[in-house]
Amino acid sequence: METYSYVNIFETKGLEYLLLMCFLVLLIYFVRYLREPGGKE
Amino acid sequence: MSQMTAVNDQGGFWSFLRSQLRPRGKILTPFNVISVPIILLGLGILVVRFTKGLGSVTNLSQEYPWGFWIGFDVVTGVAFAGGAYTITFAVYIMRMEKYHPIVRATVLNGLLAYVFYAGALALDLGRPWNIINPIIGNDFGFNSVLFLVSWHFLLYMLTELLEFSPVVAEWLGARRARRILSSLTLAAVIFGVTLSSLHQSGLGALYLMAKPKIHPLWYSEFIPIFFLVSSIFAGLSMIIFEGTISHRVFKDQIDPKKHGSFDDIVIGLAKGAAIAMFVYYFFRSLIFLHDKQWTLVRGGWGAWYLLEIIGLVLIPCFMYAYGVRHRHIGIIRVASILTLLGIVMNRLNISVIAYNWNAAVRYYPSWQEIVVTMMVVSAEIWVFRWIVFRMPVLREAHELPSEKQEKTVRPPVAASL
Repeated sequence: METYSYVNIFETKGLEYLLLMCFLVLLIYFVRYLREPGGKE
Repeated sequence: MSQMTAVNDQGGFWSFLRSQLRPRGKILTPFNVISVPIILLGLGILVVRFTKGLGSVTNLSQEYPWGFWIGFDVVTGVAFAGGAYTITFAVYIMRMEKYHPIVRATVLNGLLAYVFYAGALALDLGRPWNIINPIIGNDFGFNSVLFLVSWHFLLYMLTELLEFSPVVAEWLGARRARRILSSLTLAAVIFGVTLSSLHQSGLGALYLMAKPKIHPLWYSEFIPIFFLVSSIFAGLSMIIFEGTISHRVFKDQIDPKKHGSFDDIVIGLAKGAAIAMFVYYFFRSLIFLHDKQWTLVRGGWGAWYLLEIIGLVLIPCFMYAYGVRHRHIGIIRVASILTLLGIVMNRLNISVIAYNWNAAVRYYPSWQEIVVTMMVVSAEIWVFRWIVFRMPVLREAHELPSEKQEKTVRPPVAASL
């Protein structure tokens, strides 16, 4: 028998915002890391 | 001697085709020695499957109607073919000419992947003659995901055939046909990218209604988005992996200048794959947090999940990044293999391993299912090799005659196109 459980979206919202902000900041650094030449040019 | 002259000298299409069908190169290669018995055994199993039914060769049942053939051949194979729409988008829409040298091989790979892997869908149908039903709209739910997927497979195969057709026209020395077909490429690419983005996610959407059956660590309402994003880096990793092998096996076919530029291409592809994997990892983390899945990570399933997400997504992502920054092609190659393993694991987890995870009787593929899958992969490689040795896929396109020449010395094949 299928049982659907609805997640309370507010329960984890704070953590999700935090993760999103971390992701955006890390993405900038990650792309910059990929664009800059490394030591073995 | 140009292809056109060859066609003309042999006096007609059939003699030309006969000459092309003759084997080239060594026959007793390790690949041939392994693949021929597999193909013959696989064909034998297929005879049994089509005469005695699915149950005679597979472990499929009412509880597990979709097994290894769907999970690996169709769901995983189509993800691996994602490189075709990614590269054609980059080259023809974004005008990233750097990747032009790999377009033909990638499109051929994509086309063959769809023909063989998506074609393997027919093996898994209890009544394979009904495969035509979604196409003719006979007794079929028009708003079902499977309806979308089947139409998209058909249309995308035709689109990829159109994208590859200038190569066939070149092979046949058909200048005018090549010009017409080349002019259709951009439209075909736009159509192909649209189709791909929809059916890559559509394959994931097939599992949306299996919520009670798929382990909660793998089930999400966002499976379609996961499938789409992961098909990008799956396709790019496949190009790196397949290109590395092709550059060794078909080294005589490739212009030496292209050997050098291939490293730059690999680094560019690795960069794209790293960013796509980074975004994918974030998506998965967000769902992990949103669904409070940390309560499920303990135990065997949790360890299996972490192996997939950290071992075969996050680690290869950083390996790609390190390889790009330090121009280390070896690390990029290893990362591509790990990424491909991660895609196989993810698709099999959703479709087979974590499917009916709490059932009393589990499904394991029979040896016949595995042999048939190996047969499909071997047959695809055989056809790929046949085409690459004959058509201008990796080598420089040969000069076709001018229109004036074409009028005077017109090959019979070109005339028929």
